[in-house]
Amino acid sequence: MTASLLRATGVARRYGELEALAPTDLDLHAGETVALVGPNGAGKSTLLSILAGALEPTAGRVEGSARTGWVPQRPAHYGRLTARENLELFARLEGVGAPAAAASRLLERFSLPPDKPSGELSVGNRQRLNVALSLLGEPRVLLLDEPTASLDPGQRRRVWEVVNGLRDDGGAVCFATQNVEEVGRHSDRVLVLQDGRVVYEGEPAGYAAAAEEAFR
Amino acid sequence: MLRRSPVLLGALLVYPVVIAVLVGLVAGYASSKPRVAFVDEDHVPPVVRVAGHSFHVQAIIDEVASNVTLVRMGRDEAARELASGKVVATITVPPGFLDKLASTVQTPSLILRTGTGGLTPVVKEQTQALVYQLDRKLQDAFVAADLRYVRLIQHGGRATLLGKSYDVLGLDRMEQLLASLPPGRRVATMKQFVAFARFALGETGSALAATANPIGLKQPKTKGRSWVLSAEVQSYGIAVTVTFLALLLAAGAAAAEKDEGTIGRLGRGLVSLGRLVWAKVALAAAAGLVLGGTIAVVFGIVVEVGGVTGGEPWARLPLLLAGVVLAAAAVGAAGALLGALSGEARTASLVAVLVVLPVVFLGLVPKGVAAPAAWISDALPFVHAVRFFSSALYDASPWRTVGVETAWLAGIGAVFGVLARAGMRRLAA
Repeated sequence: MTASLLRATGVARRYGELEALAPTDLDLHAGETVALVGPNGAGKSTLLSILAGALEPTAGRVEGSARTGWVPQRPAHYGRLTARENLELFARLEGVGAPAAAASRLLERFSLPPDKPSGELSVGNRQRLNVALSLLGEPRVLLLDEPTASLDPGQRRRVWEVVNGLRDDGGAVCFATQNVEEVGRHSDRVLVLQDGRVVYEGEPAGYAAAAEEAFR
Repeated sequence: MLRRSPVLLGALLVYPVVIAVLVGLVAGYASSKPRVAFVDEDHVPPVVRVAGHSFHVQAIIDEVASNVTLVRMGRDEAARELASGKVVATITVPPGFLDKLASTVQTPSLILRTGTGGLTPVVKEQTQALVYQLDRKLQDAFVAADLRYVRLIQHGGRATLLGKSYDVLGLDRMEQLLASLPPGRRVATMKQFVAFARFALGETGSALAATANPIGLKQPKTKGRSWVLSAEVQSYGIAVTVTFLALLLAAGAAAAEKDEGTIGRLGRGLVSLGRLVWAKVALAAAAGLVLGGTIAVVFGIVVEVGGVTGGEPWARLPLLLAGVVLAAAAVGAAGALLGALSGEARTASLVAVLVVLPVVFLGLVPKGVAAPAAWISDALPFVHAVRFFSSALYDASPWRTVGVETAWLAGIGAVFGVLARAGMRRLAA
């Protein structure tokens, strides 16, 4: 077993009476890709947000010193700024040494139009900018919430090339999806969530029954 | 849809009522007593004795000044407040006024100075009414004094004139003397005169009452700042603009963080929520500075070009701009809270527009008209901004007011800032 890069112990989230996520444990190891599967409202986004540090858990804790990149489900960038400006702004906030160079590198890597306000970009381009922003701090752990939901097959392929490259370089990836094909092709381990609880954790080969039950 | 949104339905019903009440209060105030400076250069004592009658000066002023609010102040302060539009007129009691009045043989004059704005005709009328009522009070005393001499001539008795005492014969005793004289043509003529004199003097009391007018009113030509350029209008103008801009901008900017989804990305340790609120506050302050400064400069230019006296638009500009920054920051904190509570930029902008109107109206309602409105207004930045600007621009010694209002604005801004931070935390979740 490789080293744990990010460890969640008993993390849970409540909104008043509603339990969005029951206490959950999750270890992300170097060189591993974990898929979170489940219907809408199962707790996938909540778990990812907690792992990313974007949401405070009401119980439990997250530990790990590796830099983390986060791709939220909905693109998160300033619509009035261009892709380049967004990348440079967040690069500065991430403490990247040369923000302009980092922005140029990612613009090229994701084939993004640099000088168009990002609010005017196509849905696919906005999502690719969303992914590009998550890579600014050169993270070792990448957390992606349905990263390819609005992308065409070619764009999906390019995103997975980047994500798999990070994993192959010794990083860890955790992504939420409802796409069965992506689970089988890209994950090493699967967690099936239903009503805020983990109902399956194991090999991708054995998750189908649990997923079918969860989606029923 | 409205049935399923009871809060929205309630707001739609309550909002016009609130606005109507506030407009009513403000309109009532607008038609109420204007502020008039009362300058006493003759050092009128609390009790004045005129023609044998005692007058309690303040009581008389309170009684007769039902149409204006008279505020006692020094000559320089009054001139300054008239020039800046803080008072709409000054009434001056000139030196020697009481001596002339007490002599009952000269007509002393009060001096009325008014601004040149739209309220001037109203103020003139109300001041004339004030003087007329004072005349009526003094008239009774003067008539009584004059009638003492008439009665002395009618009935005789002892009288003091220029320090010497005299025994006055009187018409009654003169008639008795004439009756004791042998009848003749000359005696008959004198009897006829006495009878006529008695009749004429008997009518004197009512004739005096009908014609008395002991105080005149002089109005020297003065050049004061017009009402539309007054300190109050300038202060309100800047405060309304800055409040509107800062509230709208900060509310929209705060809510946009949720709209754009960036609050989650920023909240991952890139930017603290406090710093995020501070950024909105700083944005509001910077925008307020630009717009408020522009308005102040335009006012100053208009005042200069118009050759209008009063006020110090340039010397006090730095102090005013410091107030604008502070006020815009405090309003910006309130706007950030609105944005955090609204959670959506368009909703936040609409709410901010809807909130500005009652906030401004609350600031216009004076404490004397509706105390609760003033209390609520005290908890909001607008009214403190107005006081700061007004004092910074035109008070001879603004530091106390500026200090107090700075403390208010800083305190209110801090409270709204803390609440906005809590709201942003909720927004991030």
